[in-house]
Amino acid sequence: MLTRIYWRHFDWLLLGVVLLLCGVGVAVIYSATRNSPDLVDYWQRQINFIGIGLVALFAVALFDYRQLSLLAVPAFLAFILSLILVYLFGDAQGGSRSWISVGGTLVQPTEAGKFLLIIFLAWYLSGRRESIHRLPYLLAALVLLLAPLVLVYIQPDFGMTITYAFMGGTLILSAGIRYQHLLLLLGGALLAIPVLAASLQGYMLARVCIFLPTGEDGQIVAPLLNFLRAVFNALPSECLQPAANTAASYNVDQALIAVGNGGLTGMGWTQGTQNQLLFLRVRHTDFIFSVIAEELGMVGAALILLFLLFVVWRILRIAAQAPDPFGRLLAVGIAALIFFQIVINVGMNLKLMPVTGLTLPFISYGGSSLVSMLFAIGLAESVSMRQRRINAY
Amino acid sequence: MFEERTGKDTADITMAIFRLGIVVTFVVMVARMFDLQVLQAGRYAALANQNRLLRIESPAPRGVIYDRNGTILVRNRPSFEVALVPEDLPTDTLESEEVDEEAVEIEKILRILQADRDSEVALRMAEILFNKLGYDDFIRTVEAVNVQVSYLDDPAFVTPVTDGGRMVMAAPLEVYLPDLDKVLPLEGLVALVKRTVAIQSMGSASDPVPILDGVDRIRAFEISEDSFRIPAVRVTQVPVREYLYGDLLSHVLGFLGPIPAFAAETYRQSGYNNPNERVGLNGLEYTYQTELRGTPGVRYSERNILGIDVRTIGPEVEPVPGWNLHLTIDWRLQSIMRAALQAKMEEVGAPWAVTVAMNPQSGEILGMVSLPSYDNNIFAERIGEEYLLLEQDERRPLINYAIGGLYPPGSVFKMVTSLAGLAEGVITPETLVVDAGPIYLPNRYFPNDLTQAQKFVSWNHKNGVVHGRINVESALALSNDIFFYYLGGGYLEEFVGLGHVLLSKWTELFGFGEKTGIDLPGEVTSLVPTDQWKRQLFAEPWTTGDSYNMAIGQGYVLATPLQVLVETAALANGGTLYVPKVVHHMTDANGGVQRDFQPEVKRQLPVDPEDIEVVRRGMWDVVNASYGTGQVARVAGVEVAGKTGTAEFCEYLPEKSDCRRDEKEFLPFHSWFSAFAPYDNPEIAVVTFVYDGGEGSAVAAPITQKILEGYFTEIAPRPQPVATEP
Repeated sequence: MLTRIYWRHFDWLLLGVVLLLCGVGVAVIYSATRNSPDLVDYWQRQINFIGIGLVALFAVALFDYRQLSLLAVPAFLAFILSLILVYLFGDAQGGSRSWISVGGTLVQPTEAGKFLLIIFLAWYLSGRRESIHRLPYLLAALVLLLAPLVLVYIQPDFGMTITYAFMGGTLILSAGIRYQHLLLLLGGALLAIPVLAASLQGYMLARVCIFLPTGEDGQIVAPLLNFLRAVFNALPSECLQPAANTAASYNVDQALIAVGNGGLTGMGWTQGTQNQLLFLRVRHTDFIFSVIAEELGMVGAALILLFLLFVVWRILRIAAQAPDPFGRLLAVGIAALIFFQIVINVGMNLKLMPVTGLTLPFISYGGSSLVSMLFAIGLAESVSMRQRRINAY
Repeated sequence: MFEERTGKDTADITMAIFRLGIVVTFVVMVARMFDLQVLQAGRYAALANQNRLLRIESPAPRGVIYDRNGTILVRNRPSFEVALVPEDLPTDTLESEEVDEEAVEIEKILRILQADRDSEVALRMAEILFNKLGYDDFIRTVEAVNVQVSYLDDPAFVTPVTDGGRMVMAAPLEVYLPDLDKVLPLEGLVALVKRTVAIQSMGSASDPVPILDGVDRIRAFEISEDSFRIPAVRVTQVPVREYLYGDLLSHVLGFLGPIPAFAAETYRQSGYNNPNERVGLNGLEYTYQTELRGTPGVRYSERNILGIDVRTIGPEVEPVPGWNLHLTIDWRLQSIMRAALQAKMEEVGAPWAVTVAMNPQSGEILGMVSLPSYDNNIFAERIGEEYLLLEQDERRPLINYAIGGLYPPGSVFKMVTSLAGLAEGVITPETLVVDAGPIYLPNRYFPNDLTQAQKFVSWNHKNGVVHGRINVESALALSNDIFFYYLGGGYLEEFVGLGHVLLSKWTELFGFGEKTGIDLPGEVTSLVPTDQWKRQLFAEPWTTGDSYNMAIGQGYVLATPLQVLVETAALANGGTLYVPKVVHHMTDANGGVQRDFQPEVKRQLPVDPEDIEVVRRGMWDVVNASYGTGQVARVAGVEVAGKTGTAEFCEYLPEKSDCRRDEKEFLPFHSWFSAFAPYDNPEIAVVTFVYDGGEGSAVAAPITQKILEGYFTEIAPRPQPVATEP
């Protein structure tokens, strides 16, 4: 029976781990917001978002992903159009023009755009047999990827841009391109560096600079600084004297203190001083991993990280068992998206990565972020349920 | 199709690299967590604590000071301070644009504090706020609400020290300061308070901002009763030093004040974390600052990022109260001494005067009066205008002249010369010198020209009297100068004197030229004059005339009254120089003795007891012989010994290019008297000094007599009167 086969291949373990992570998220959001009168009900809201997200997850899982290939082209065009609309009429929030008002509520097209881009690229790259081995076809893929990339880049949304770039790159590579083409692309990328450098926004460079290692004198270490000087004509003050600009590095420094303060076993749930006394900023979204590290310690944080990466691993497993290249690339794209957000967000919390404003999947507070992540899991489950081979878990 | 992959592309290797990436990510991030959370955990925990913990010290009660009989001299009195807590003031809500809720609340508070009715409250408040805000901010704030600031008529000169952080050496600027004696209207004060609160809340909104101090107990109670209406107001008790006898003991006790800027770093390094702490600036409050202060208690306040107190964290260290001082001073004797000195000083119109009493057997100071004095209670709450007035007073009442003034000792120094002569074998008790009138020292370049010779007179020659044949004992009794000229410098071929080397040696032995070491700040000393000293200072050799002057305590010899007292006490006790002490012992809050009294011997004079006895006989004669100069110092029932001193001094008058002199061209005199009693077993030694007081026998001696009489009748009455036969 069709239905029976479907549910037999539904990855319950994946769903279980995802729900566990969502639950941890609610608990940590509660801890992070209980002392802020404006935010005290956020943990309840997050539960509602989980509910909505689960409905989306099952709805998408039941939907045959192969039908999505029909949607690929119109969805992609709609996405590009929405990005252009945002560019022309959007609202600026937090310095970037990435929101647009739809019937009174603000939405961020880039959030849904992640999936539209995955679907479109998966469709395009799986479309013709081995056609990706032909250079014109490959270059067309790159152009199709660059279109949304450029539109997001000029919003400007640095985090989303590199997310799209990573996803697109992973999809193209895992679709399988010839090695000589790969070398060609790398050469092209090297040539593009000056163009990128000229257009890199000052604040992006500043964010990169506060993360770069500094020497005894508080200056960025000489080789890096000289490289920056050579590539960019005007460096923001954060690059020239990062230590002096404490305001810019405040959030990261406080996050690092929170992580270190947690120690091996943590200060206990709702007991972290950096979190509870509000020294940690944006603690329920961007820096929620620091809350985990402070209150649950290295043991708790490493465990959460393990679960997060397990989700990625599991989706790659779905990709390997997918019935067709479209499903496989769909799963790879979703895995790349989730993996990239984990690396960037946790890396930022541990000061291994620059600040980008990407949230931690399943855990950070936020309706669109959480629902879209659960939607992504639903998409992966949809692929999983339609796998051809029956494998033991 | 899917299965027909050629393996010539990146598909499979990408998936493998992806999986590897997941593993590497996990390993790298866990390693980073291990570094941050295990290896560097201590450093980050310290940073987190630094973020949230504020160390709060609670001062320990300062030690109390008693006199030798347990009478309280200094205690702590509660004074009340009114402060506002910024976070408890209403914030200006945006709904009511017309009304500034914060200003309304502040105005309500100021009305309850009576700043609108009581001009003293308004003035004090304006002064505190002026000191907080500074000149520019104060004026800008007041004028922003259209209140006119009245300025002082005369400009003050302010030398700018820094300009935007840079040190500058600029000429003083003329600045018109606001007249803080003019009452500001209420709206001006409201604006100032609002501004001060706003500045404070940038630091921490939980920290109270003081707006009024010196509030008495009743007003403080009334304000506290209103506190339900004004939640932002905190009334705190601030201990203030209370000196029960005011100007009677201010030179000894001293006073407290803010940490002086030049010593701020030193205090900070010795654990004074509160820069507003008041420390001893003078007297015993200064000397025993550490002991009196005790150890402040410590607690930690946990604060969030807004600076709001969340809770208090232990372990709380309880404050340890400072030690109590038990003085050697008897306040009754102190009162007697002061009354006697004050009466005579006013009678002769002297600018300042000193009397000090000591137990000659131990060095315990029994009383110490320096006039004029001041009331140290005026500094109890703050050091303000009154201090400036005292500093500007020509008579300089802040100086304790007993240890801070150097004067020619005059004849009270003659005992030093006498004992030196006896001990060095220059004279015997029987050595006679004839006073037949003034003597002359020939000019060394014109030895045969008598008109060029230097004339030396004894005080009695002015009255047309010569003393004839005298020995050391009668020379002391008569205070004859000729004898001491001979003894000090010799005379021609007739008499070999001590000479400057031996004179200097004995002057030093008696403790002149070094500080006595009393436990009070501000002691001074001069050098003992020597040949080398004079050559360096005046480029002239020591002359016989210099020895003459030194022998009678004139010329280059200078001493503090306390140094003369130590000299007198050494003669009274048979040759021991004690370090004078004001604090007898210290007790902790439970009454346990922490540091007990130990007499401290500075030096034993290298002399035969018989030699000292000769000098003591001379001092006995001064008071008790029919020809003694200090007979006025006799006390019924007690044998007093003493020595008068009338020391010429030069008060240089620039307009005359000469010293001040009277109509007969005589120099003015300081009046000295040093005494001890009872003669056989002395309990008390007293030195009295009256600046420009006149003759020792006429001024200082009667004062000393009153003091001794008071001592032997009121404080240590003799059981039975003893005959006063010589």
